[in-house]
Amino acid sequence: MRKTSLLAMAAGLVLALASQGAEAAEKLKIGFLPGVVDPFYQVMQLGVEKAAKDLGIDVVTQIPPTWGVEAQTPLLDAMVARGDLNYIITAPTDKDQMVGPLQAAVDHGIKVITVDTFLGDGNYGTGPVKFPLSYIGSDNTEGGRISARGLAKAIGGKGTVYINSTNPNVSSVEGREKGFKEEMAKDFPNIKVLGPDYNLDDANKATQQTAAVLAREPNLAGVFGTNVFSAQGAGAAVVNAGLGGNVQVVAYDATKQAMELMDKGTVSLVLAQKPFDMGYMAVMFAAADAAGVTSLPRRVETGFAIIDKENVKDPAVARFIYQVPGK
Amino acid sequence: MTERASRLAPSHAAAPPGALTPAQRVTLFLSRIWAWVFLGVMVLFFVVAVPLTTGGSVNFLTVRNSQNILVAIIPVLLLGLGQTFVIIAAGIDLSVGWVMSLASVLSALALRGAFNSGVPLFPSVLVGLAAGVGGAALVGFVNGVIIAKLKVPAFIVTLGTSFIVRGVAYLMSENTTVIGLPADIRAYGNDALIYHIGGEGGGLYFLHRPEVGGELLRRMDIILPYPVIVTGFVVAWAMFLLHRTQFGRHTYAIGGSMDAAVRSGIPVDRHIIELYMLSAATSGVAGFLSTLRYTAGSAVIGDPLLLSSIAAVIIGGVSMFGGAGTVIGTVIGALIIAVLTTGLVMLNVDAFWQFIVVGTVVIVAVLIDQSRDLIMARAGGRVRR
Amino acid sequence: MSEPLLSIRNMSKIFGGLVAVDDVSLDVRRGEVVGLLGDNGAGKSTLIKCVSGVYQAEEGEIFFDGAPVAFASPMDARRVGIETIYQDLALANNLDVGANIFLGREMKKRHLGGLVQTLDDKLMLKESRQTLDSLQIRFPTLTDPIENLSGGQRQAVAIARAVYWEAKLMIMDEPTNNLGVPEQHKVLELIRTLKDRGVPVILITHILPDAFAVTDRVVVMHRGRKVAEKVTARTNAEELVQYMVGAREDAAA
Repeated sequence: MRKTSLLAMAAGLVLALASQGAEAAEKLKIGFLPGVVDPFYQVMQLGVEKAAKDLGIDVVTQIPPTWGVEAQTPLLDAMVARGDLNYIITAPTDKDQMVGPLQAAVDHGIKVITVDTFLGDGNYGTGPVKFPLSYIGSDNTEGGRISARGLAKAIGGKGTVYINSTNPNVSSVEGREKGFKEEMAKDFPNIKVLGPDYNLDDANKATQQTAAVLAREPNLAGVFGTNVFSAQGAGAAVVNAGLGGNVQVVAYDATKQAMELMDKGTVSLVLAQKPFDMGYMAVMFAAADAAGVTSLPRRVETGFAIIDKENVKDPAVARFIYQVPGK
Repeated sequence: MTERASRLAPSHAAAPPGALTPAQRVTLFLSRIWAWVFLGVMVLFFVVAVPLTTGGSVNFLTVRNSQNILVAIIPVLLLGLGQTFVIIAAGIDLSVGWVMSLASVLSALALRGAFNSGVPLFPSVLVGLAAGVGGAALVGFVNGVIIAKLKVPAFIVTLGTSFIVRGVAYLMSENTTVIGLPADIRAYGNDALIYHIGGEGGGLYFLHRPEVGGELLRRMDIILPYPVIVTGFVVAWAMFLLHRTQFGRHTYAIGGSMDAAVRSGIPVDRHIIELYMLSAATSGVAGFLSTLRYTAGSAVIGDPLLLSSIAAVIIGGVSMFGGAGTVIGTVIGALIIAVLTTGLVMLNVDAFWQFIVVGTVVIVAVLIDQSRDLIMARAGGRVRR
Repeated sequence: MSEPLLSIRNMSKIFGGLVAVDDVSLDVRRGEVVGLLGDNGAGKSTLIKCVSGVYQAEEGEIFFDGAPVAFASPMDARRVGIETIYQDLALANNLDVGANIFLGREMKKRHLGGLVQTLDDKLMLKESRQTLDSLQIRFPTLTDPIENLSGGQRQAVAIARAVYWEAKLMIMDEPTNNLGVPEQHKVLELIRTLKDRGVPVILITHILPDAFAVTDRVVVMHRGRKVAEKVTARTNAEELVQYMVGAREDAAA
């Protein structure tokens, strides 16, 4: 696949450069600023740290305690003020509001790579926001479509389904909602889509919201949880209502809880993203850019592993479950 | 008051009821200035530790970092200012965080609406300010009326209105944000009074960002961003109001003894309403400034700030029982929190430690306050709070 | 000088079902000290709170300086010159002497052509010091919060406050409670000073020695009603006690 060969090329180039000796430049220092504390970003951090170790790069990591610009910006500002970071790898928590603060970082000579979420429209070549080096993340719109197809199949092509999502104005979940709705409208006109409700990254709220919908819609056939907390919360609501197995849940993000729910038959489909790859690749891009590579793609889609009951035991698939050692 | 042995004898001074020992004097003095000392020690610590842990490549007290800190304290400080007044009067305002969010949404909507109907940029910004602060003051008015006239405890009232305000903010926003604001307002929220470019080809620029790029841009330091200046004015005004005017004196009186205030003819009900309007208005300014900074209204922006604002106020020496406190104390409290967060990032320590430190400092603050009362009561000495 | 300064006619005050003050009439003339006696719950405090504007009586009239008055708030009473010193003194512990004396009536300095007004602390301090001197009350420092002053010192502040505002009538509610003996004497001295200045005093007390020490007349209340009115010199403690406990009652006193 194109992506894999690109990865291999970049990796080879950088390792070759690095093995020539680090006399060319002082040690690179990178900042890593994800969105919030959750298993997805924790796995991403593993990827970042592995690449940093492989390439001899220092990483300064700060994780905002809550999702939002008020939590992320002070950490970003402090990282910039350090004055010793060359790159910042970040998942912007709002695709419009974080443009200003990240632009300020760029003005100060720090290059920015966005992972998982993007700024503006994600098209850094011709879109309204052009300053980030690259966007590395899932093709969330396609992920939404895959989820739609999966859920439609699970419920037999007709019925009512409900979307539970996290934060508005965030590119990742926005893409998933959009793709999901598009696909349902296009190929499954007999399926009615409710929502999305926003749980603001609170699994408990996701549970409450889903429970409310379950109570209102006695014939609800399926639920789509658009990320870690949405899927966990929505799944819990379905289990609490005793509807596990009757209401099909499709979960984005392969957390351990999602996999447990799949075991119990509540979740029928899990879309695992590849956060480790995102983190690893972002660091490599930074190193490549520092070494002078100019042909880095402005957008890289890292793909999914689609996990269902049939292949969940296959080790080649199971390795994409978000597992952090010791957690 | 228990009986004391002092006599009111004519024509010679009454003997002090109980002199303070030197140790007690020192302790009392320290208890008044401990927050300042703590801040100074913390800054010193970071100034020394940061270069040490980064091999000299990072410094703590840079121009850029100090300006960052000033910008970082703005929301907590503004929320804390209103809170200071309210708590000195023995009340509390739990709605400040959500009022800030509501103000952010209202100012964004008003600004966008005005601009889109042809009003030029600066007047639109003023419309936004009026909408944000005005809407906030309205909430404060409601809080004040229910607390003063219906005699419902402030804790409960402001808790209740915080939920209502939150709902309104969500409903009025478009899925919790309000976007589509004219991009030029970013300058209002982020530009500064002074720009300094060091080294070759550099210089001082005022009022607007100089149009430079590349290396010059990288070396540019932003000094005194406009939101910092606005906040500075609000702080100065709050200091004046609290310490030099009748309004401030009456605020202390109400907190010290509501009975005395009422019987002295102070219009307590009206004053309480004004206090809660003030508290909401400063939160409104915070919301407005945040809209300018991020060029978007956000209905969730104030949520995490309530507790930090109360922490800043307590660290700054405001007594939760009313009657004592200063504006400068709250400024120090907000600075302590911001310096701590920034310093931890610079040390590359997990910023979550800030919560543990802040919580500890708050408890220490209350203990120091209580020990001061103990010393004063036991010795019968007279010390200015 | 025979026209009473204060005249209360047939005043009644009712709280819910409780008649706290029942058809009480009372005169106070210039220069006299009237003792208002009674046991706890007799209605003394309630009566004077109706005079000082804290409560509004359901029935009855008040005449002050010849004219009928109605006080909707404490400020109204103060404005005509009625100063009240309550049992709890109504002082703010966290403020200093000057601030307490001027509480609610602060002196202000105008700036910028009247746009901005600040507290004139210096002037208030000076005035406070003068008043305290004239009453021969000495404090070592006037700028510390009053919370650590003794009971007698705090009484002095309260009295100084009333004197400063040129009270035409002073009402004092149990002023010697919680005071040591020397301080009690001082308070009684201050009452005599006020009398010498022509300021009439209504002194609420249940301490008979105090009443005999300073009052010209005494009025006894029991369960909301006025049960006796005597010239102090022509009565004695035993008799007064009988009135106070309800064992005796004068008709239409």
